Amino acid sequence: MDFNGFKQAVIAKCAELGIAEYELYYEVGGSTEVGVFMHEVNEFTSSLDGGVCFRCIVDGKMGYASTQALSAEEAAAVVVRAMDNAKTLEAEDMVFLGEGGQEYEPLELNTYDLPTTEELIAATVKTQETLYTKEAVVDGCQSEGIAQQSKIAIYNSKGLDLSYENNAAGLIAVAVVSNGKEMENSFKIRLGKLDTIDIDELTDKAAAEARRQLGGEVAPTGQYPVLFNPDAMCSLLQVFSGIFSSEAAQKGLSKLAGKEGEKIASDLVTLVDDPFHKENPEPMNFDAEGSPTHRKNVIENGVLNTLLYNLKTAYKAGKKTTGNGSKGSYTAPVGISPYTMYLAGGDMTEEELLKKAGNGVYITDLSGLHAGANPISGDFSLQSAGFMIENGEKSTYVKSFTVAGNFYELLKNVVALADNVTLPRPMGKTTFGAPTVWVDGLSVAGK
Amino acid sequence: MISREICSRVLQAAVATGADYAEIFAEHTTNHAVSMIANRVESINDTVIAGAAVRVYKGLRSVMASTVDTSESGLIACAQKAAEALGQGSAQIDIVLRERLFGDIHPVKIVPSSVENARKVEILKEGYFAAKEYHEGITQVSGNLADVDHNILIANTEGIYTQDRQIRTRIAISAVADLGSGTQTGSCSPGRRMGLEVFDSEICARDVGIHAAKQAITMAGAGYCPAGVMPVAIGNGFGGVIFHEACGHGLEASSVAYGQSVFAGKLGQQIANPKVTAIDDGTIPNAWGSINIDDEGAPAQKNVLIEKGILKSYMIDKFNGRRMGMASTGNSRRQSFAYTPTSRMTNTYIAEGEDNNDDIIASMEYGLYAKEMGGGSVNPLNGEFNFAVNEGYMVRNGKICEPVRGASLVGKGSQVIMDIDMVGKNMAMGQGMCGSSSGSVPTNVGQPMIRVSSITVGGR
Repeated sequence: MDFNGFKQAVIAKCAELGIAEYELYYEVGGSTEVGVFMHEVNEFTSSLDGGVCFRCIVDGKMGYASTQALSAEEAAAVVVRAMDNAKTLEAEDMVFLGEGGQEYEPLELNTYDLPTTEELIAATVKTQETLYTKEAVVDGCQSEGIAQQSKIAIYNSKGLDLSYENNAAGLIAVAVVSNGKEMENSFKIRLGKLDTIDIDELTDKAAAEARRQLGGEVAPTGQYPVLFNPDAMCSLLQVFSGIFSSEAAQKGLSKLAGKEGEKIASDLVTLVDDPFHKENPEPMNFDAEGSPTHRKNVIENGVLNTLLYNLKTAYKAGKKTTGNGSKGSYTAPVGISPYTMYLAGGDMTEEELLKKAGNGVYITDLSGLHAGANPISGDFSLQSAGFMIENGEKSTYVKSFTVAGNFYELLKNVVALADNVTLPRPMGKTTFGAPTVWVDGLSVAGK
Repeated sequence: MISREICSRVLQAAVATGADYAEIFAEHTTNHAVSMIANRVESINDTVIAGAAVRVYKGLRSVMASTVDTSESGLIACAQKAAEALGQGSAQIDIVLRERLFGDIHPVKIVPSSVENARKVEILKEGYFAAKEYHEGITQVSGNLADVDHNILIANTEGIYTQDRQIRTRIAISAVADLGSGTQTGSCSPGRRMGLEVFDSEICARDVGIHAAKQAITMAGAGYCPAGVMPVAIGNGFGGVIFHEACGHGLEASSVAYGQSVFAGKLGQQIANPKVTAIDDGTIPNAWGSINIDDEGAPAQKNVLIEKGILKSYMIDKFNGRRMGMASTGNSRRQSFAYTPTSRMTNTYIAEGEDNNDDIIASMEYGLYAKEMGGGSVNPLNGEFNFAVNEGYMVRNGKICEPVRGASLVGKGSQVIMDIDMVGKNMAMGQGMCGSSSGSVPTNVGQPMIRVSSITVGGR
């Protein structure tokens, strides 16, 4: 049974049980992945995953149930299960389904035909062969090619009937290098139309990053200026992006509750959320509730302009939704997340920033973010790698040390931002971006 | 789920282009989770996962195709897709499927899907309000009671046709506290490969809530951990995450087979301190990471990984085992049919030693006692790892002193397992969900209290 058949069966069941307010959210992703190792294709995966989430309002409560089995029996079963789940809920917030007939900004999707399996294999093999031409690269290198197709559809009893389709392809290079004593690796990904990905650039970057990790020292313990490169800053932004959710604020899980209109960061900080950013592989003109999306400054010159809202949290706050309703997966209840969230750049080049900082540490990698950063308290203590900065220039490579601080404080302690805003890679449904950022007041623990 | 006859025909289609091995993995799983926040039941996640995957090997090549259409035609189409991707060729393998029963070493008394929501809410509330009412400094509590009923079927060209039902239940309570010097959190999330009877015997929901709240209050009253290199005593239970990250991932065939582990090629060699014996055991009755069979149909095993510091075994799945020339150790696992399975841990722990806990603390002039650990991560190639300390205390002159917040531990796996120089006697397990290339799977970590003679502590 396809989604349309399933939909009709659900509509019939809802009519039978007298359910007037309901919604179906359908999400399916098809992907083809090719893995190349030791010059040969060694793994190939073709998968189809996804399903349907049904939700309905019973006595003012929103019950959910999801399934992957698209059959008539399951269509009837999800309705009954969601009703039953609704009856157990106690939350007293008003719940909403999106209205039909809203206006959406036109979407310029860079749609293209997905590569054929042969094209994907050829590009992945070429990535591996190119990796082997790079200095210090040894056996163990892996390359991967991905072609993905995603579909989303939302249909509800209030006339909402939306759908979205998008294709994406990408290449991954894992460079393994050795200096005879130790081995290091680095992982790089590029997304986009397969024949426009610069394989030489991708593999060059992966190998160069792996090479620079060979050797290296442990950074000295102390407090000194810290510069985060765009990759590292995006990692921090990703793990703490939840503090900008109105849901977290309303539940006492973000310290930004009640701070809209107040100064929460250095004057230099402007944080943007843009659903239509041209470098985001998945631009969206409607959110998981079918609300229209738009670009906004979350922080503007240090002032918290707005948190991110969905229908429920906006109603509670007496505001309009910002179109940030989202589902982590099709089975999840509607939560909140940004689209393309990035820190706007300053007017100095990175070289000028380094010169101005004089001495300190330049962080390129942060690891263990799921464990070493606490999104509620804002505290972080993270395994780091990067370079010492001496006399305004990057010097020794340093690793196996930690950088510790608090994200709320960090926002206030931004000294300068460079002009090199980059969007390294999408993480889940959000793409994060940042320039190189100089922050004071952080602690480095090493030798 | 799927009959032997259909499986035979699907496997036949899968090997049609020359595969030397084919396998079907089918699944029907129910996930159910009740969540509370702000004193109320906020949401219920209720999901059916259903689908199948066909995998074929030819030498060192593997192809997998998955589908949510588990009708015979859907499965045949899936098998043909896999066969086609494997390439040109032809093969005729005689497939005789014989049903195999492995028995259930993890009995379940109360199947969670047969219990109404109201009872689950009752249990969750017991834990939730125990946390909420623990102290006036508790500002928010969230709680979750999750159960999973995972039914799998595996058939392969070696003749295996078998099924397993894996039921697990877990409660998680997180508390947020503020005593005026910034918010801190505490959490506790025990689980078992059991049904709801777990709350009548092994887990007391109320204790879970109190544990989470107490940790949050302790940390809310703590100052920041000082940074530096020092000896660290790591508590039992979830403290075993240090072995899981620092060493366990590096012993998985998914890293070893590709030479991407510092422990590759080191069987029989001394890789750890002679005080360290480490075991991966999927057969512990009703333990969180236990299985009857792995996701390739191999029975669960108890594997001694390291014995008195000597590397004895890796954790191996069938496909990577081919590259290594070694047999499966019953460690092949996948989150669901949509993931390609690979070698993963089950219940992995450092065995009990001969030191007394008191002696471990008394041996430290200045150091950290990491009573409870949070999560961590590792790069198996170079062994560089990091862990968060959820509840830590300074140790001075052999005595446990004030609590400290915000600590983390970083180092190299190959070094840290050499530096474990004291091992206590109070082995306990802690539950986690381990994320890797084949998705998120339940694993236990475990150890008695241990001492690491010197490690970098991140703080400020």
